[in-house]
Amino acid sequence: MTEHDAFQHKLEAAVRRHLGAPGEVRALVRLTGGATKATWSFDAVVGTATLPLILQQTPPERLGSTPGRGAVGLHGAHDAALLEAARAAGVPAPRVRIVLDADDDLGEGTVTERITGETLGRKINTEARFAAARPQLAAQCGSILAAIHRIDPTGLDFLTEQPAPAQLAMYRTLADACDHPLPAVELGLRWVAEHLPKAPRTCVVHGDFRNGNLIVGDDGVRCVLDWELAHRGDPMLDLGWLCVKTWRFGGPLPVGGFGHRDDLFRAYERAGGGSVDPAHVRFWEAFGCIKWALMCMHKGLGDLGAVPGARRNVEAVAIGRRIEEPLLDFLDLITGKGD
Amino acid sequence: MPASKPSAPALLDAAIDYLERELLPTLGGYHRFQCRVTVNVLAQVRRELVLAPAQADAERARLVSLLGHPGERDELSRELAARIRAGEFALDDPALLEHLRRSLVEALRINNPKWIGAPEDPENF
Repeated sequence: MTEHDAFQHKLEAAVRRHLGAPGEVRALVRLTGGATKATWSFDAVVGTATLPLILQQTPPERLGSTPGRGAVGLHGAHDAALLEAARAAGVPAPRVRIVLDADDDLGEGTVTERITGETLGRKINTEARFAAARPQLAAQCGSILAAIHRIDPTGLDFLTEQPAPAQLAMYRTLADACDHPLPAVELGLRWVAEHLPKAPRTCVVHGDFRNGNLIVGDDGVRCVLDWELAHRGDPMLDLGWLCVKTWRFGGPLPVGGFGHRDDLFRAYERAGGGSVDPAHVRFWEAFGCIKWALMCMHKGLGDLGAVPGARRNVEAVAIGRRIEEPLLDFLDLITGKGD
Repeated sequence: MPASKPSAPALLDAAIDYLERELLPTLGGYHRFQCRVTVNVLAQVRRELVLAPAQADAERARLVSLLGHPGERDELSRELAARIRAGEFALDDPALLEHLRRSLVEALRINNPKWIGAPEDPENF
């Protein structure tokens, strides 16, 4: 039996246990796979229906080896509770069908409904089929973010408090753990420490809201994905992160490469998110550059304390070589050269 | 012994050519993406072989000038990082900002020339 067959059998058993017979799994395709989390697309036959589904899992052999998961990231049951709370607030978030448990032997993660559309930022920004949707995306992101920031935190006690100083401390710790001190990173962390803004309020924050984590169709944003960095904190973090140049995927405009800041801010305010101070958002965009640089460094250097001789995923090591992109963008931002 | 021939960049050119022109078109999904990333990684190594020696010399000279004493490039860079962290440089120090910008731009010539609008083939500049 191949690795793929064995995986399919486990998944069929999980579908039968959680959703019902016959539980046949069809068209199982691995969409992405990194050093930590893998995403699979498949169809499950339950009763007479065929359900289009997505599995996101951290494989059993990876559990516990990943800094960030557990301490920072959310596990399956929490992810499911958060997505339900988000849907209740009117956020287009995927419906969770299965929370993996130990009996499934598939590691940690969830199975959600599969929504049709595109997630690749470069395609969203360039392909003709999205031409009509593109000018609407920034405003749609603004109203969706206002809805995210309205999520009722009752029952979401697992979300940690991460106001800007706590975020800075987290990334300071990450930088020190990498033990690869870079002058530009040190400049960035000091700049952040000296420019910490006062948050207008504390609320549920997505934490990774950006082009690439949105499912987009010809009608615009259909779904918001990848909630594992969610926490309670400064809502302006989400607006700034969406503008970080890395997430523009070569697009010419500042919001995700597809839109104008004004459209994002006005839609956020119209949807009841509260008034937006562009300088405050800019702080989070600049801090976002430093955060992404440190994520690149961490990914590239690999799991700290990993087993010697462990296989390194080429995608992960390649991300390590992307560190200079956001550092240069950061310098542009603080010296007034950026857009 | 003279340097082995074909040269390291020539070996990488051949490997990249095979992956990009022959293997990649036969692949889909996960493996297509991973193969594309592998081509990029090999191209980075190739550019590093060509560009890094001169860049390291220039960076060392800038670090010596900023820190005011001689040393090896990596040690000097570590010292600069520590001194920035300790608050010994102003965040808007023009010489510091110029050094950081040049170092980042040079690294991007190796790691992602497109980010700064530079040619991807270092022989072209």
